[in-house]
Amino acid sequence: MRNPLADLTIPVLDDLIESDYVRSLIVGTVGVLGVLLVFGALFPETVVGDLSGIVFSTSTAASTSRLAAPIVLAGLGGIFAEKSGVINIGLEGLLIISAFVSVYVASVVGIGNTVLGVPAIWVGFLGGIAASTALAGVFGVVCIEFKADQIIAGLAVWLIALGLAPFMSTVFFGGVNTPNLGARIGWRYSATMVVVATVASWWALNRTAFGKHLRAAGENPKALDTVGISVSKVRHAGVLLSGVLSGIGGSALALSIGQFIGSGETMVQGKGFIAIVAYLFGNYNPVGTLGAGVLFAGLDATQIRLQQLGYAVPDTLVQTIPYVVVIVVLALVGRTRLPEAAGEHYETED
Amino acid sequence: MNPAVHMDGITKRFPGVVANDDVDLAVERGSVHALLGENGAGKTTLMNVLYGLYEPTEGTVFLDGEPQSFDSPRDAIDAGVGMIHQHFMLVDPMTVWENVVLGNEPKTWGGLRVDEDAAREAVADLSERYGFDVDPDARIEDVSVGVQQRVEILKALYRGADVLILDEPTAVLTPQEVEDLYGVFEELTDQGKTIIFISHKLSEALSAADEITVLRDGVNVGTVASGDVTREDLAQMMVGREVLMDPATTPQEPGERVLEVTDLRADDDRGVEAVSGISFELRAGEVFGVAGVDGNGQSQLVESITGMRDPTEGSITYLGEPMAGESRREHIDRGMAFIPEDRQERGLVMSYDLTENGILGSQHDPPFAENGRLDWRASRDHAESVIEQYDVRPPNADAEAEDLSGGNQQKFIVGREFERDPELVVAMHPTRGVDIGSTEFLHDRLLELRAEGKAVLLISSKLDEVQGLSDRLAVIHEGEFTGVVDPGTVTEEEIGLLMAGERLDDDSVEGAALHDAATDLAGDSGDEEVDA
Repeated sequence: MRNPLADLTIPVLDDLIESDYVRSLIVGTVGVLGVLLVFGALFPETVVGDLSGIVFSTSTAASTSRLAAPIVLAGLGGIFAEKSGVINIGLEGLLIISAFVSVYVASVVGIGNTVLGVPAIWVGFLGGIAASTALAGVFGVVCIEFKADQIIAGLAVWLIALGLAPFMSTVFFGGVNTPNLGARIGWRYSATMVVVATVASWWALNRTAFGKHLRAAGENPKALDTVGISVSKVRHAGVLLSGVLSGIGGSALALSIGQFIGSGETMVQGKGFIAIVAYLFGNYNPVGTLGAGVLFAGLDATQIRLQQLGYAVPDTLVQTIPYVVVIVVLALVGRTRLPEAAGEHYETED
Repeated sequence: MNPAVHMDGITKRFPGVVANDDVDLAVERGSVHALLGENGAGKTTLMNVLYGLYEPTEGTVFLDGEPQSFDSPRDAIDAGVGMIHQHFMLVDPMTVWENVVLGNEPKTWGGLRVDEDAAREAVADLSERYGFDVDPDARIEDVSVGVQQRVEILKALYRGADVLILDEPTAVLTPQEVEDLYGVFEELTDQGKTIIFISHKLSEALSAADEITVLRDGVNVGTVASGDVTREDLAQMMVGREVLMDPATTPQEPGERVLEVTDLRADDDRGVEAVSGISFELRAGEVFGVAGVDGNGQSQLVESITGMRDPTEGSITYLGEPMAGESRREHIDRGMAFIPEDRQERGLVMSYDLTENGILGSQHDPPFAENGRLDWRASRDHAESVIEQYDVRPPNADAEAEDLSGGNQQKFIVGREFERDPELVVAMHPTRGVDIGSTEFLHDRLLELRAEGKAVLLISSKLDEVQGLSDRLAVIHEGEFTGVVDPGTVTEEEIGLLMAGERLDDDSVEGAALHDAATDLAGDSGDEEVDA
């Protein structure tokens, strides 16, 4: 008799992992972590021991999940936009605007108060999502209806948010950094949202009719148009979803420490751009994007802790670790395939 | 009984143009109807009216006697009219079934899940019912063009189409796939479907259609039963004057050896050997034809000869000098003209105007370039002279290449290349997508070059073209010449066998492959012409 388990598990796994590429990514990451764990346990006094101690500590897990939330969620959003044919490089801007608005709304409501029974911090969370979605909506209209160049419009989204958020913070709070709310969302919420969003995105992209339409809109919009489905509606939906998901990511980032930091590159610090790398690295597969996002966030968290250990390596050099990894990874990958019509405007004939 | 489709007095005006002028068309249920005409005759406009893309300015469309008014293709689909476009509307990385059901996916779980099993089954059922032999789970990018076309047909059938419109369905197919398509037509009409296809190829209309309607300048010139007419009749209806169907070649002694290719081997882009040891020579005043199903190494052979691909082995001698490995510019400078197979990819820069396109390849040379500057006046004069001599429309040197129809783009490229005053012309599919009137003109120009003592290497998948124009005809199969034959005496069956990779045992035909036989053969084909 055949083992019923074999029939049950393998197809699901295969579907989820989808390609050899993503599989090797996952195996590689797990493998590196395993080696680290073993060597760390064997030689606790060495650098490897230190590293292993950092990587497998709860605080690193917490900080990884906090840092991973914006990367993975914006990355998932980026998949929806790009699969539909609109390259959204404004993810960074969407993260910034939602990070600020979430804190702002929460402070306006006032910690301790509720709206319709929803605690202020969660009202702020929803506010952040709304702001990001609205900005994505504007981006969508500019790109889809007015046929603006997607790259330039995306940069505009980033620059607008980069300027606007610290400015608003100065107007409302008297400084580019908002005061701390004194309340925050635990890292387990972020982690849960990331996992739920990843699975839901995967389902939406691969199992629903909407996912198929999205893919067709990005690959051959004419094929979709000729079967009577509006390409621009599908693309708007893709872009709005990138706003919703980035909004969750940005709000989670800011509310997990209860403050918006607007100095320099703001607290988002290029996570929106890393998100683009993450979904390309994951080859437009939400599961791969999750893996890539966690990898980068993990490196970032490790890097922060490494600085604290005080090796004779300049901090600035240690800070570059995640970015060096990004470059190496991109150089090694080079296999992702952009949707055929991504970046192209579509005009119906009639 | 009412005809399945009846278009009554259709007039379609665009600003400044009457695309269809009071056209009547009636198609019986279960029949195949060909809509024949030159490029720009209004065939596609008429079908776009039937498909709901355009609203007619005047006239009515009846389906089964019921008057219809379509606002959009969606309405036409709902009324049972399906269109298979020339450029397939398929999503390459998706599977066959995903493409077929796109936009009409069966759903379960309250719409949250596409019912894949139901979709797959529906596609498999349809495929089986019409004998299509299509795997629902194959990816579009992995299947042949012929199969992709069937997927398009399946898409229309899945949406309940009774009337199928096909726009130039054979343009992208190999001869074998064309035969298969005719089989599909029969299967479909047997089961009560009605087929209308657009074409500008006479042979296609004659062999596949029950009835043929010819359009010229937007007017219905006549509807005839395909059994009652000849190619010549149809050509005359299409063009409006008598057309010489077979180009008249005159016997001619070949002169100096222009090109000699010895044991040439070349790989394709994936590194798989595509040309496997080809040898031939070509003399001045000679047309050497290469026939074969597309994708048997023709592209790589031509690319090697024209300097776009480095051969892995073998030598190419051009006018007495070794040529393999030389740059493209060197090839052009030494007088090798090239009509590429893909005019939009390699022949023209689509966003350049004709003045700019006209000097491509000559941009280094006087009179167009002097002291590192381009002389736009000379360039423009050159473009205008090509436009005039080769009847390129619209006759405007400022028009961008992408604004020209495919046939006119092709005429412009042929003009540019022929006006280089070349010693050797390498012409790949020189008349692909060109209407009969222009084809005749281009053929005449090729033969004029031959008469001027130029050498011509002609590669075409149109058998009648290579056969009619060549002095010697090679047949290529999987990177090798399966035979070099005398086009005047060889039969279509023999060529078909050679194209399929079989070699003919006949010594006399094999003998034609020898270089020394070239002169005799030219004489032979001359006799043939006199007899004919």
